[in-house]
Amino acid sequence: MSDTQLADLLPRMDESLQVLANTPALSKSLKIRRVLDTARRILMHPGGCEALEQRAQQMDASGVFLDTDWGTPEILVASLTRHAFQTRDPDVLVLEAMSELRLLAVARGDYAHASISSVQAHHFLTQVLALNLELMFQGVNEAQRTAQGRAAVIPDHLLRHLAERIGYEHIIDSLIEEIWRVLKQRPIQVNMVRQMVTQIAICQVNPDIEFRSSGQGADRLVSALFGPTEASREDPGVDIYLERLERMDQGTLQSEATGMSRAMHDTGLVSAYHVVLLRHLCAHDDVAHLVHDALGLSSTGRECLLCYRPLVMELIDQAIHAETAQALYGLTLMLERGILYQSPVAPALWRQLSLTLNPVAQDRLKLAYGDAQPPRVRLLEGVLCMLGLPLGVGQGNNPTCQSARALSMWAYNDPDYMLQMVVWAARDDEIVMHFEGQAISSRDSQAGLASGLVLDLDPVSLLVVPHLDRIYAEMGRRCVGRDEDPHRWINPEFHGWWTGRGFRIAVDIATGQLQKLDEFLRYFYASYHPYFNDNQPVIHPQPAGIAVTDTAGRFIGWHAITIQRVVLDPDQVMRVYFYNPNNDSGQDWGHGVVVSTAGSGERFGEASLPFEQFASRLYIFHYDPLEPGNPEAVEQSLLDGIAADVQQSWAAARIPEI
Amino acid sequence: MKNDTSKGYVALLGWSLAAVEAAEGFDRRYVVVAPDWAQDYCDKHNIPYIPWNFERLNDRSMEIAQLLQEKGVDVAIPLFEETVEWAGAINAVLMDNPRLFGQSILFRDKSLMKRRAQLGGIRVGIFEEAHEKDDVVRFLKRVNQTLLKLDGDPNDPIHLKAFDKAGCLGHRVVRTPDDVYAIPDEEFPILMESHLDGWEFAVEAWIHDGKIRFLNISEYVTLGYSVFVPATPDLEKYRPQIVQQVEKLIKTFDIQFGFVHPEYFVTSDNEMYFGEVAYRPPGFKVFELLERVYGFNAYQALIVSFDPKTTEEEITAFFPKEIVDAKCHAGCFGVYPRRRVVSRMELPEETEDHPYFESHELTQPMEETVTKRTAFGTHWGLIYFTGDDPYKMRDLLKKQEELDFYV
Repeated sequence: MSDTQLADLLPRMDESLQVLANTPALSKSLKIRRVLDTARRILMHPGGCEALEQRAQQMDASGVFLDTDWGTPEILVASLTRHAFQTRDPDVLVLEAMSELRLLAVARGDYAHASISSVQAHHFLTQVLALNLELMFQGVNEAQRTAQGRAAVIPDHLLRHLAERIGYEHIIDSLIEEIWRVLKQRPIQVNMVRQMVTQIAICQVNPDIEFRSSGQGADRLVSALFGPTEASREDPGVDIYLERLERMDQGTLQSEATGMSRAMHDTGLVSAYHVVLLRHLCAHDDVAHLVHDALGLSSTGRECLLCYRPLVMELIDQAIHAETAQALYGLTLMLERGILYQSPVAPALWRQLSLTLNPVAQDRLKLAYGDAQPPRVRLLEGVLCMLGLPLGVGQGNNPTCQSARALSMWAYNDPDYMLQMVVWAARDDEIVMHFEGQAISSRDSQAGLASGLVLDLDPVSLLVVPHLDRIYAEMGRRCVGRDEDPHRWINPEFHGWWTGRGFRIAVDIATGQLQKLDEFLRYFYASYHPYFNDNQPVIHPQPAGIAVTDTAGRFIGWHAITIQRVVLDPDQVMRVYFYNPNNDSGQDWGHGVVVSTAGSGERFGEASLPFEQFASRLYIFHYDPLEPGNPEAVEQSLLDGIAADVQQSWAAARIPEI
Repeated sequence: MKNDTSKGYVALLGWSLAAVEAAEGFDRRYVVVAPDWAQDYCDKHNIPYIPWNFERLNDRSMEIAQLLQEKGVDVAIPLFEETVEWAGAINAVLMDNPRLFGQSILFRDKSLMKRRAQLGGIRVGIFEEAHEKDDVVRFLKRVNQTLLKLDGDPNDPIHLKAFDKAGCLGHRVVRTPDDVYAIPDEEFPILMESHLDGWEFAVEAWIHDGKIRFLNISEYVTLGYSVFVPATPDLEKYRPQIVQQVEKLIKTFDIQFGFVHPEYFVTSDNEMYFGEVAYRPPGFKVFELLERVYGFNAYQALIVSFDPKTTEEEITAFFPKEIVDAKCHAGCFGVYPRRRVVSRMELPEETEDHPYFESHELTQPMEETVTKRTAFGTHWGLIYFTGDDPYKMRDLLKKQEELDFYV
């Protein structure tokens, strides 16, 4: 195909975008074909990607993405691009390509998008490239060509163009950096990370792909999954590895066990070989004492294992398989937390082991996780991971931050209550909670915040969140007509008795304007800052509300988080450590407020900010009215600085007229 | 657009998104009268809507007419063949003119239509009604006898059409008595016509105050496969004769306003034969093609032509000048799978790479086996082309017939 043809197509593209832009939303479907067909032809030409990238704004403005997932780029899931690049449906492919080229323009700062920042766009595209490394380096494969015909060159053209514009050296390095950054937060769901590491591994062994000088840090990731120890170094396959184990003496087995646990604790990822080793150790009495080495337990975890050995053995036997390898990490951290010593937890786990799931729960788990392992095993994995990594709970791409926060809080603070919730949801398909003395059943309640079936959740959230979401929404409905923010009443009833009954909010509900900001901040200091609350640590995790801002400090939306701790960090800066149900807490909220997830004294899953920066994005908190602290001791100058930052960022349009 | 209450209030009969779009962007009040499945869409987009299921005319027909009258609607516009007699019945009430209903029946019954045309002195082929298969065999024999065919000579075909279906639906070509016995009984009664050897084409004419306001000639490359507008100069040279024919049609059918879509044959001796006429927008997206070519919205043109309150100045200003104002030629091709077993849709390279190619509406096949085509059925989707040269367009459309879009 010659370039003259591309030149012929571009005016047609511009005209079709113009026509679509002029068409009302009700009939865009009539005019969209010309856009898609012209774009497809352009994308098949060399140079086509660039031409569309230049039209990023026009594409968006035309409404071509309207009423599709691409219409809200902030919720796009990078892993789905793999599907889009292999689809038989050329329209999906073309829309995906158009959307990514638009995001490229956003990432490069050529186009300011209303709902996604250039950093977010850059992140997303890096992930897309990471997840499709193989495709990018190897080009079109036969399966793709069969499915897509001539359009199969489009993903290839697109990925190359993205890589060139973002920079090849960026991809591997920033991919690896990205993976480490995510892993340091120890999320429960690591499927996407596992996919990305797998892609790196595939490229590493391909002699046609040159890794250049980049790729530092890749080895630990790849080896953690595919060859963590001496005997599994060359990824021999689980059968051969098992044979090797059977011929090993105790010393070698011990070194395998410590090697495995080191890899796991380094990365948070569990290799299938690790599962094989653990099951081998459990099955042979003469080496069973090596189990704690394989889990890499400290003295706390080891004590716990010894005290509850039959339970732990049963959990390993039922829950830990190659497909549910992460359960091994969940179990380990659960033992380390010592929560089995809370008297209801061990019996509750025995109940969990023999629980029969109702068909709704079974179907849901099968739909999300396939049937390589039965649903009850998936759920066990989920339970172990949640108890081990209570701050690793993520809300997926759903507006259910409240429910995710509640689950995390229970797993952290009240684990047997969480186990009870799981039983109600999995066995009865109904959860009943009480609000101001009245029972609310998830079965009777209408729809919650999440629309439709959500599947991008860990197994426990998958079953429990839909119930919580409906109950939460129903509590909201029961507060309609009260002239104050409903969280005042909902949060304590929904999350638990430990939620402070004192409540402060920085905005006036009726007008949405700031109200009594000084007082709000003063009481926050007095309740939470150790210098002003008689040095009292946060005892129970407390729900709080954040006004999330983008990298430019502009308001994006309200968000639910949990305040976990307020302490001095290693640099002697007072920090708030908090849990963010968002899947990735590392966010830049603008004006220098960059949420840290590692390196400032954070525990797994915690995010943190210096106290005053945190206060500048806070809009709701709870406190105990009986423990008022010393509000009068807070210097006005301290508050003035924060108030100024509030007024320049999320509340810029919320300043009441005087 | 802001509604101008000095202009008419129109009801669109049947659901057509393109028509709704046009009405929404136009200056008149409108209401969509469509089956209840359109409710959600109308609610979502705030489209004025009255649910109505157009089956056969029945006792309740008066109800919708009165409902529209109470709302102050001035005229009902049929968008589909099935709503033509409803529009006639409703307009008879709205305009207090019972003859409009009778007129609409002429448009709906192909047999009555041909008789009326014949009475008006319009040339038609030989036709008869068939009630059973024997009638068809007899007609086939008589026609070929008339043509002085000897035993053993190949028969000239005859055409069978349902009385009241749009376009090519239910159209069959019969050459031998064996073909006749393949026709299912439920298709009777049926209209039979002799085959006219000639060049078939279609006309779209917008009428107001009994006068033609815009007349387009659509050239068929192959009937049932492809059409483009404006036609080649070879066909356009008949325009004066065609205008005369359409004027005759207007007089014979006593049409004061609206839109007609007749089909004609021109034979090798330059004689025009009338095929049939429809009182609703044509199939094959000719309206969309006209918009590509002339830039005016053909559905808005429909509203202007039907609206009794339209002024002479407005309608004169509304339409462009035929041929001279055309920016390009636009055509479309209806795809039928050519193989018996198909696994996927794939645009042929030469189609997709052609500079005239614009877009397509083909979807991936749901089933692998293609149902055998018994009549001129429904195509699987359209391919659109635009370009400057009508002859290139014609050849390009013709060429598509030899290509596989489903493999």
